[in-house]
Amino acid sequence: MSDAPSRRQNLITLLLLSPGLAGFFGLFFYPMLVTLERSLHPEGQTQGWTLENYAVLFRDSDFSRVILLTFFLAISSTLLSIALSVPLALLLRRKPAGHRLLRMTVLVPITVPGLIGAFGLLLFWGSRGWFNLSMMPLLGRTEPIQVNYTLVGLVIFYVWHYFSYTATTTLSTLEGLDPAIEEAATVAGATPSQVLRHVVIPLIMPGILSGSVLSFMAAFGAFSIPLVTGGSLRPLAVSIYKQIEVFTPARWSAASAMAAVMATLQVIFLAIYMRVLRRPTA
Amino acid sequence: MRNLATVYWRALVQRKRLLGTVFLWTFFLWITTPFMIIMLKSVGRNWFGRKWLPPNLTLDWYRWAVTVANIPRILANTLIIAAIAVTISTLIALPTGWALGRRKVRGKELLTSIILLPRMIPPIAYALGVAQIFYRLHLVDKYLGVGLAHVAICAPYATLVLSSTFQALDDRVLEASAVCGANQLRTFFHVTLPMVLPGILSSIIFTFTTSYNELTLTLMTYGPHTITLPVRTYLAVGEGYWEVTSAMSMILVIPSFFVLFMIQREIAPEKLVGGFKGV
Repeated sequence: MSDAPSRRQNLITLLLLSPGLAGFFGLFFYPMLVTLERSLHPEGQTQGWTLENYAVLFRDSDFSRVILLTFFLAISSTLLSIALSVPLALLLRRKPAGHRLLRMTVLVPITVPGLIGAFGLLLFWGSRGWFNLSMMPLLGRTEPIQVNYTLVGLVIFYVWHYFSYTATTTLSTLEGLDPAIEEAATVAGATPSQVLRHVVIPLIMPGILSGSVLSFMAAFGAFSIPLVTGGSLRPLAVSIYKQIEVFTPARWSAASAMAAVMATLQVIFLAIYMRVLRRPTA
Repeated sequence: MRNLATVYWRALVQRKRLLGTVFLWTFFLWITTPFMIIMLKSVGRNWFGRKWLPPNLTLDWYRWAVTVANIPRILANTLIIAAIAVTISTLIALPTGWALGRRKVRGKELLTSIILLPRMIPPIAYALGVAQIFYRLHLVDKYLGVGLAHVAICAPYATLVLSSTFQALDDRVLEASAVCGANQLRTFFHVTLPMVLPGILSSIIFTFTTSYNELTLTLMTYGPHTITLPVRTYLAVGEGYWEVTSAMSMILVIPSFFVLFMIQREIAPEKLVGGFKGV
């Protein structure tokens, strides 16, 4: 008798949750299963089971190059994002002139479609763009510096697009810091650089870490930026898409196998992220 | 002696500040110049060779975008698809967000992260599956199909925003309304609704922008009748008419800047980063 209303409450809760769950299963979980199933069929067929698609990937030196490139881009852009975000956050915390505008600027790359960012970057760093217009006389070069469609260029563009995650979390952690702690360290005789190295940085480390895992994950799954600015450099997401776009008939099974590898890696990163996020601060 | 040291120290501090200022504004330029160039490119004529600025101004590229690239029709496609995606996502997110924000749910944290999973996994991974399912259901190259594909990434975000909106509802205010003699219907229309409306509105604006900007899922489900603005812009970059592409980009970027402005005014940006990802 007593659990009847609570059972009714549970039923109502389940009913309310059902649209969200239906959307999740219909538009994410089931498609992932379809992708997985397709990756286990021979190419061009919808019957028969095989592991050949995966075997090809691991035998193929192209695919290991793709994975290597994806990891290289994600890791290097994450490290550079941290190097950019920490001084940026430290400077922005002091509320210098124009800090509101600068704060908004931090969010621009993740709010604006990556496609437009990529296109604008191509124009800026191109052989007739402002970068070369200012650098060529400065360095006394007659030939423009090639940035677009190179590895270095991709790293720059990745940092441009994905540093926002690191910068935002670092800044918000830093602003949550009690100034009294730093004051205490200063009163105890620590120099500003000591305060920074032994007090501030360790305290904001959780924020830096969780932000950089977000940056890393986003960079690992990057699509629009390398699609437009990568040229022949194709990280994982672009390689998957090219299997469909370039080949006729489209290589669905090969693309699905790559997608399955990618999703598995991404779930592992997500697990790490949850770990980092949950770790008690201090 | 001591005076000199003070002078040096002051100079150093000042230079340090200068260094900081230079760093900040270099950063500002690094982020914003791509947009400035797109803007100039879209209104510049005869901008060839090594020139910092376009020599003449023109609106021809916008005219071209309208007449040659058929932008009004493509914009209409984009808006219809976004409307479908926003409607379905909001209908999904209202009950789900209410349950997550206001009711006791076992394993709430796990459930929330499961619902947010589509935003953390690169869309290309499940876009392949979505495309295959939609081919079978004849949903490819249909407004409903492309809109539904967008729901995959819009709904999780709407759910996140709405559940935190509903969670922030103050029980005491609702109780006060009941104490003052309002019945449930009256409480809902005169107290609850006005309190949650801003949250619902911002959820709608964010899902709209997400759908309006979405490229990956559209690339896998579009057809000749459902070309959207991002897809057209992507194709135009490949075609190489970069002046017209710039004009298209200017149209494509409008909602994003509106959202940016809104984020800055209304919401703490750090709350968005977890769920908001413009791939």
